[in-house]
Amino acid sequence: MTSDLGVDLGHLRLRGPVIAASGTFGYGTEVPLLERRALAALVSKGIFLRPRPGTPPPRIVETPSGMLNAIGLQGPGAEALLREYAPLWSAWDFPVLVNINGETVEEYGELAARLDGIPGVGGFEVNISCPNVEQGGMYFGNDPRAAADVTRAVRQRTTLPVWVKLTPNVGDIGEVARAVEDAGADAVCAVNTFLGMSIDLHAFRPRLSFRTGGLSGPAIRPLALQLAHQVARTVQVPVIGIGGIASPEDALEFLVAGCAAVQVGTATFADPQAIARVHDGIAAYLESKSWTTLKELPRYLPRD
Amino acid sequence: MFETSAPLSERRQVARDMFVLGFDAPAVAAAAKAGQFVNIGLKPGPLLRRPFSVYRADEGRVEIVLRAVGEGTSRLLSLREGDRVSVLGPLGTGFRFEPAWRSVALVSGGLGLAPMLLAARDARAAGLSVHWVHGARTAWDLGSEWDGEEATWATDDGSRGFHGSAVAAVEEEFGAVLACGPNPMLAAVAERWPDAQVAVETYMGCGTGVCLGCAVPLLAGGYDRACREGPVYRAADVDWPALPSHLSYSAVAMPA
Repeated sequence: MTSDLGVDLGHLRLRGPVIAASGTFGYGTEVPLLERRALAALVSKGIFLRPRPGTPPPRIVETPSGMLNAIGLQGPGAEALLREYAPLWSAWDFPVLVNINGETVEEYGELAARLDGIPGVGGFEVNISCPNVEQGGMYFGNDPRAAADVTRAVRQRTTLPVWVKLTPNVGDIGEVARAVEDAGADAVCAVNTFLGMSIDLHAFRPRLSFRTGGLSGPAIRPLALQLAHQVARTVQVPVIGIGGIASPEDALEFLVAGCAAVQVGTATFADPQAIARVHDGIAAYLESKSWTTLKELPRYLPRD
Repeated sequence: MFETSAPLSERRQVARDMFVLGFDAPAVAAAAKAGQFVNIGLKPGPLLRRPFSVYRADEGRVEIVLRAVGEGTSRLLSLREGDRVSVLGPLGTGFRFEPAWRSVALVSGGLGLAPMLLAARDARAAGLSVHWVHGARTAWDLGSEWDGEEATWATDDGSRGFHGSAVAAVEEEFGAVLACGPNPMLAAVAERWPDAQVAVETYMGCGTGVCLGCAVPLLAGGYDRACREGPVYRAADVDWPALPSHLSYSAVAMPA
């Protein structure tokens, strides 16, 4: 018996619950070892309308059970993305969503309009949660009104699926989630990295050149799980859980806590096969319970 | 690129606090070229893999050379024969060799000796004569293994060979220069031989090109990835002042 791991995210049907998180899978042309049958969808590295060089090194530092990064959304810009990657994506058997960024609300809308309708572009993950840029990013995700404005700007320029990736660095994540839902998001992704810092005891300054960075990896998992659960209890649209997922058990925790799907990110750095391992482990778990679909998994989702 | 669960099958000391570890990983060993690296994962161990130049690759075994500088290297050095690690590789773009050069100087400092045995192997295979110039702080830090015909030693304290740096110890002209060592040394290489091929050291996340953590600043502007386009660069192409001059390891000395 083979279980059906398919999930419905609004009107987007995915063949499984495990998605490659933005910034951990490039544009899908790297990570040659992964068995792609397990990949439900891929979210591209974050992109701006125009090319960006990113931050100076050091850009990453390992921390207990995690890592800090401040890559600064290095990317080739929309035109290069369309030219070099979208044609490849259009031939793949899973959707690629583009993680889109802007320094202004208008820029998000402009970028969505430029990418909308291009074969290979399967939807958008609106990044209002990057902690590593001077303007935009997390600052939109901190404020429910700004978060809604960005979501609306994208929603008005596309009929493709629009996911909004939330920041944990906010007082009330539920309020931001509700705002982006009301503004037309098809799904919300919870959560992006936690703002963190590490000090170099030889140089007596931060280890990251950007001073601060985003914390990811198993260190954030219980924190992220709590926030994803809180979001799932707050909104009606599907929630995609993210945060330190490295094993099938980790993913199942997010699914039981109310998420429709999950993203695996940092785990891929340590294990290029992490996504396949998580996917296959979920399938084996369902089979051990004699469940034929993921929908049979009990959810813990009390509504307030 | 391969990923394989590889048992430790060799451990030997080659200088003060410096050890060679060998892992049985035939597919990786057969494919490895000079200047390429492996990214080694430890379980239990730190979250991220640890990148090492391939030191030797014979008879199905991949060797690396290291000192205990932090958690990953300390754990590696505490492995026993038969203990397994995950070896991912070979990764990166290594050194180029062109027969027209006729001769090549391999210039290394400290742990920068790591890619030079393979570089000598691949250079000879390309028909080049090889001269290795290797420097370290003292005679005890030099590293004891060299299977080539010509070598020059240099020490900061003059305890063996040339009194001074490896770069300063190179007297003759060669068809090409290949170098590896601390980034400040490579900056000096770039001053003297702009066309030298140098293997840089950076922090690294995935090793496979996706995380963009191992950014190398280029003089032409922008960054590329030590793990894909690198770790070997044309010396004059790197923006040396913008490349971290050293990696920050544990502040407290690690036991060997």
